[in-house]
Amino acid sequence: MKVRVKSFAILRQFLPRETEVEIRDGSSVRDLLDLLVKQAPPLANELLNEKGELKDFVNILRNGRNIHFISGLDTPLSEGDLVALFPPAGGG
Amino acid sequence: MTMLSLVERERYLRQIPLLGETGQERLRDAAVLVAGAGGLGSVCAQMCACAGFGKIRIVDNDVVERHNLNRQVLYAARDHGLFKVDVAARRLRENNPWLSVEPVRETITRESIGGLVCGIDVIIDGMDNYDARYILDDAAFGEDLPFIHGAVNGFYGQVSSIIPGETPCLHCIVPHPPPPGDVPILGVTVGTIGSIQVAEAIKLVTGLGKPMAGRMLLWDGLMGEAEVIPVARDPSCTRCNGRGVAP
Repeated sequence: MKVRVKSFAILRQFLPRETEVEIRDGSSVRDLLDLLVKQAPPLANELLNEKGELKDFVNILRNGRNIHFISGLDTPLSEGDLVALFPPAGGG
Repeated sequence: MTMLSLVERERYLRQIPLLGETGQERLRDAAVLVAGAGGLGSVCAQMCACAGFGKIRIVDNDVVERHNLNRQVLYAARDHGLFKVDVAARRLRENNPWLSVEPVRETITRESIGGLVCGIDVIIDGMDNYDARYILDDAAFGEDLPFIHGAVNGFYGQVSSIIPGETPCLHCIVPHPPPPGDVPILGVTVGTIGSIQVAEAIKLVTGLGKPMAGRMLLWDGLMGEAEVIPVARDPSCTRCNGRGVAP
């Protein structure tokens, strides 16, 4: 299946602003991130902590909804889903 | 609501065609809390004063330092060591003699916030940390006030208008804050984001346009691009207490 991925802010140093990713049916957000990190290894530092878990402040939205409120990294993906990755800004 | 004087009509000659005299009167009768007098706070307070908000309460507990001057447009080199809100009040009054400015030398805490939002119509986020932003967000929902969130990092920035009863709260939009600490910031980024925040405040007070409610603008100054993404409520959020937009 294909999903669309959009990246924002610092993540754009490692990912295209918008890209279509081919991934096997039944994949989760975790599978998608694994694939993205394989394609762009420096992305791991931005997304994952030293234990390999997602840094909790990186917002991942599936079709506009934060995966923190769905099933986290186990959130399932479907054909045509839009996944947005954005680390929030904090300064003022 | 009293009518605008002749001198006020002259001052706002170029924007009354946009806002209408009623819109201009609504701004004059509105009180805004600018929370923070740093990069975003400087720009927001300046833009609110120019636009003709009647009252600005500006809150900050810091003094002007040299490394503020790349982005905190209210301050000059001679202001080094002075309290930001005192300098800000002087500068804002110089810009707009009709403006009532209330400088408050305080840190925003759960204890101080009640007094800070008293009599306020709109809260504008000029903070540099999420602990204080969450306090403002909770006060917005407690007092039923719009809260215009803005934040910056380098060339990047974000804005969203948080409206109790209509939108998710900040806890829903940013459930986990980025690690605290100083981030690199450019004056042009706070200029962009702060101006958009005040545009939101003007729209909310005058009723013009469509607020960025339930949406977040993500600005990328390196690409010269903005994107607006939908933001949704956490169905289990206890902070906005069922008063945010339906999930």
